[in-house]
This record gives sequence, structure tokens and C-alpha cells, in this order.
Amino acid sequence: MRHEIWLAALTDELRRHGVGPDLAAHVVAEAAGHLRDSGEPPLRAFGPPSAYAAAVADSVGGPALSTRSSVGPVRLRAVDISKRYGRRTVLSGVSLTVHAGQVAAVVGANGSGKSTFLRICAGLVGADGGHVELHGTVGYCPQAGGTADFLLAEEHFALIGAGRGVPRSAAAREGARRAAALDWVPGDAQARHLSGGTRQKLNLVLAGLGDPEVLLLDEPYQGFDRGTYLDFWHEVWRWRDAGRAVVVVTHLLNQLDRVDIVLDLSAGGAGVAA
Amino acid sequence: MAVLACSTVDQDRRAQWLRGVLDLCVLGLLARGDSYGYELAQSLQSAGLGTIQGGTLYPVLLRLQRSGLVTVYWREGGGGPARKYYTISAAGLAVLGEAAGQWAAFAGGVGAIIQERTAR
Repeated sequence: MRHEIWLAALTDELRRHGVGPDLAAHVVAEAAGHLRDSGEPPLRAFGPPSAYAAAVADSVGGPALSTRSSVGPVRLRAVDISKRYGRRTVLSGVSLTVHAGQVAAVVGANGSGKSTFLRICAGLVGADGGHVELHGTVGYCPQAGGTADFLLAEEHFALIGAGRGVPRSAAAREGARRAAALDWVPGDAQARHLSGGTRQKLNLVLAGLGDPEVLLLDEPYQGFDRGTYLDFWHEVWRWRDAGRAVVVVTHLLNQLDRVDIVLDLSAGGAGVAA
Repeated sequence: MAVLACSTVDQDRRAQWLRGVLDLCVLGLLARGDSYGYELAQSLQSAGLGTIQGGTLYPVLLRLQRSGLVTVYWREGGGGPARKYYTISAAGLAVLGEAAGQWAAFAGGVGAIIQERTAR
């Protein structure tokens, strides 16, 4: 791999790993100097750009947490939610309050009711007990499905945009911008021809279209490669910093130290928000 | 083949040893004078510690910088672009001094155990 290509890839990967632009420029300049002095091929001296960027990010302790000055008004309040399927109790007395500018993670084992809880919050499924208050517009990203097989990405943008009062051309622009943040350039393929990971990128773009106040995301990163997975979390931090309320269902725990609220449903259906 | 495999094992073992003390070696070199990454790698190699790849060395330098044991500045190189130079801080010197004694005791302990057999 030629130096310039490797260094450009390193710049991208440092950004993905949350290394700030100033430090990233220094790291790249230093690596360029080392390659020039040593005459070694970049892959031998530093390894793949993604691995080196990960090592750099580890060394500097990852991206700085934005200091939580004050949270905004309540956007989502789910109180004492219970749900049964037949005789099986899936949720019992689950409560969660999320303010503007907060990220909540919903965690728990498979079958602990994470998706059901999110679908109740989104109003897609009725609860057997309790109530949900939503203040503002809602974007929902399902785990799978949710796209129309015979429509292009841009037609999805127009369709969902129309539902949120965004004109067609503005929806197309916003969709393309949100797709680019996930390292995806939508082409002229119908949704049925997209890979699973790309369909999930489409779902995620649709959830954010029109800038809803509440984002409900159900393990939206399935099929994402590692880089896109990091892009996804950056999108989540941007939403939070822009004052959105974000709820992410996840079984991956390594981001939990960087969310504001953790709702653990594995404790027998009675969720505890910590 | 056997020789090859053996030397690979030796290299792996040395790389493992180095991982535990690379930060101290870097501090030790910087205690002699300011330096930059590639020069440090060369010094480590000529000290018999083997080839240190940039991908190993620079993250260590970043950690030392973050923990305040070294400070950095950029200096124009002769004809080339600027180089990042590292300077050991007072805190770095203190850590180095403390670790030097601990390392001597540790290495002495390891040596006493593994040389006992050959001495017999």
C-alpha cells in the first residue's frame, strides 16, 4: 500500500475512533515522518490503519465525554409498563424516563423484552399495563425489515420525509448527508438488492430524517462492519449533543460507560434504570 | 525449519518482555536527551532490544504524554517537515528513578531462579 493511501486511510480511521482533528493531524504527521525516515512499508511499520487507529484511541483514552451541563425537558416517560404474551410475562413494572440530550441503553438477555419495550414506547405494540408519554416527534429504527423492497433509497427518503413534512428535494439531500455519515453512498439499487448491513443503514437514515426529538433504535447496527459500528455511535453522540433523546436497544456492552441511563431488563422483567 | 521456529519463539518472547518495560526504556533514553520516534526506535534496536515497530512505539509515547511523563514540541527537520520531539518531565524522571530500583530487584529475582539450574 502506498504511503499516501495508507495515511489517508489512517486519517479516516482516527476520525471513526473519535480522535479529535488536531491530535489526528499530529498522529498522521508523525507516522508520515517515521515512514519517510525508516523507508519501511506502512503495513509493516504500523499495521492496518484501523488497528493502528484503535491503538492510538486506546492510548489517549477515547473521545472526551462532553460535560453534561444540564439536561432538557422530558421527552419520553414510560411508567410501570407490563406486557404478557399468553401466560408468559415479558415485561413487568418497567419504567424509563429520558430527557432531551440524554442517551439511554436498554440491555438484557435475548428474550428479556428489549424490543417489545421499545415497540411499546414507539406505539407499535400495546402494553397490558402502565403508560407511555412522548413529547415531540419520534424516529424509530427496527432491527430488520422496515424498508420497501421495490423502492430506491431516495424514494424511501421522499416517502418518510413526506410523513414528517420534509419536501422531496430536502429529504433527498438530508438522506444523502446522513448516509455519508455512515460511510454509505446510496445508489440506484432497490432496497431488496441491498446487503443486510446497508439496509440497516437505510433504516437508520430514515429514523433520523426530519430530525425527530426522540430516536428509538432497536439494535440498528446488525450487519455493520466495525468501522460503521463506530460511525453509528458517533451519530448517537451527535444526536445527544443536539438535544435529542435517544434510546438504543443493545446487547453490546462496551459503550455503556458512555450512555446516560442503562435500563437492564435481564432481572426477570422488572427493569431498573440506573 | 526447527531453527526457524525456535528463533520465532525467541522473538515472541523478547517482544513480550519488551512490552512490560518499553515505556521505561523510552523514559530512560529520553533522560539522556530529547528525541523523536524514529530515533528512539533506532536507539532501542542498537541497545539490543530488537526491532520496535512504529505501531508499537507511538501508542506508548502517546500514553506517556497523556500521563504527563513526557512533554512534546515540534521542531523543523533539516529540509523535511517538522518532527515531534519528546522531553522527559520531572514526573517522568521520578517514575524512572523509582522503576529502576524495582526493575533491578525483579530482574535479579528472575535471574536467580533461572540461572540456578545452569549453575549446578
